[in-house]
Amino acid sequence: MIQLRNIQKSFGNQLVLKGIDLTVNKGEVVSILGPSGSGKTTLLRCINFLERPNEGQVIVDDFKVNSKQANKKEILTLRKKTAMVFQQYNLFKHKTVIENVMEGLIIVQKQPKETARKLAMEVIEKVGLTEKANAYPVQLSGGQQQRVGIARALALNPEVILLDEPTSALDPELVFEVLEVIKRIADEGITMIIVTHEVSFAKDVSDYIVFMDQGEVVEEGIPTVIFNNPKEERTKRFFKRINREEDNLESNLTNAI
Amino acid sequence: MQIDIPFIFTALTEIFKALPLTMIITLVPLMIGFLIGIGITLIRIRKVKGIYRLANFYVSFLRGTPALMHIMLIYLGLPLLIDKMAETFHWSIQSTSIPILLFVLMALSLTAGAYMSEIIRAGILAVDQGQLEAAESIGMTGFQAMRRIVFPQAIAISLPNLCNIFIGFLHTSSIAFIVSQKELTGAANIVASNNLKFLEAYIAAALIYWGLTIISEKVTALLEKRVTVYNRGGVA
Repeated sequence: MIQLRNIQKSFGNQLVLKGIDLTVNKGEVVSILGPSGSGKTTLLRCINFLERPNEGQVIVDDFKVNSKQANKKEILTLRKKTAMVFQQYNLFKHKTVIENVMEGLIIVQKQPKETARKLAMEVIEKVGLTEKANAYPVQLSGGQQQRVGIARALALNPEVILLDEPTSALDPELVFEVLEVIKRIADEGITMIIVTHEVSFAKDVSDYIVFMDQGEVVEEGIPTVIFNNPKEERTKRFFKRINREEDNLESNLTNAI
Repeated sequence: MQIDIPFIFTALTEIFKALPLTMIITLVPLMIGFLIGIGITLIRIRKVKGIYRLANFYVSFLRGTPALMHIMLIYLGLPLLIDKMAETFHWSIQSTSIPILLFVLMALSLTAGAYMSEIIRAGILAVDQGQLEAAESIGMTGFQAMRRIVFPQAIAISLPNLCNIFIGFLHTSSIAFIVSQKELTGAANIVASNNLKFLEAYIAAALIYWGLTIISEKVTALLEKRVTVYNRGGVA
């Protein structure tokens, strides 16, 4: 179980997270939606202390970290319980696909090389990149790189995988293959917190939706309620705008044809 | 004055015998300087309290003065210090028993350290911040992330600069002749004064330096190809 209590974060004078509380149960997939600048990525990065919250607690699997007193060792322990998938993939450029996946297993988890290699191959197969195991990241498409990013996170067998806009940097035709992989591992019961702009994907894959705006949680609940019956004005406006954009796109396309 | 072309070749073979010493005076400082450079870089990047300013001063002063001064300051200053210390603590060493070469290597190591630290620092800063974040996100310690992820990429980025500093130090090693080291330039000097053919001897020495430089450029090109395989797409 992952719990966030009163997470606050400011950059300079600007308060970007105004005290966020969130509980994610084991096996749940939670999507965080919201307009850009709402603080959703910052919130995700606070969970593994890539950004250190100014205030609040992060609890992962009964391990509690107070943002104020947290020392290096606690942060390290927290990070070993989590894994992250980045918007820009951030694969280790000087390592091949399989080395990327093995790195954490060998260096952080101290597994023997052969065990690590076997485990890495299994995960790489799961994301459908067996033939690319010995390629360098630069030789892969964006979609393939992101699937390696997911494999790297998955191999660590973390309590939770944090996905930070995993498809935002991808060409539109590559989005699908990544979403499909995420969907597949979601079905395996892996706990995930996803920051995304893909509303229909979020609807499809999530057990729970959190809608954020201006550094606070505006509304949260199960997808059918949030999408079909949002209570808050800001949530309604957000979905209306997104629907309108999709409609516009479609009519533009029709006009073009 | 007539130029004695055949003598250039005679001088060439004679001077060439001094190559090992030139290599020592070039490579030893670069290797020690590399280690110093890593240390200084880490202190400056992490802004380690207390010694951070000292590190800045070191880089600023050593890069702000010619290598010749470093050799002179160490060669003239250090013996005074050693003799004074020996007297105070009743050690049995005397500065005159220390080979001059050691002072030269010490001085040039300090010089190299300052230049190396700037090269390594630039390399580390050029590595994408996301690489460090990815390493941290999988639970690596700062040291592990530096050693396994950031540093190897920083060195690959720095390779052209490291080649430049090698060539620079190959040429800088020539000033060791000032304190009577018989490296290439020192040897050229001896050959020149023994035969009273100065121009010929220095042409020969110049040719040797040039040849060495060309070879090291070729070697770097090969190294660069190998180290940056991951950056070029193409073959794995």
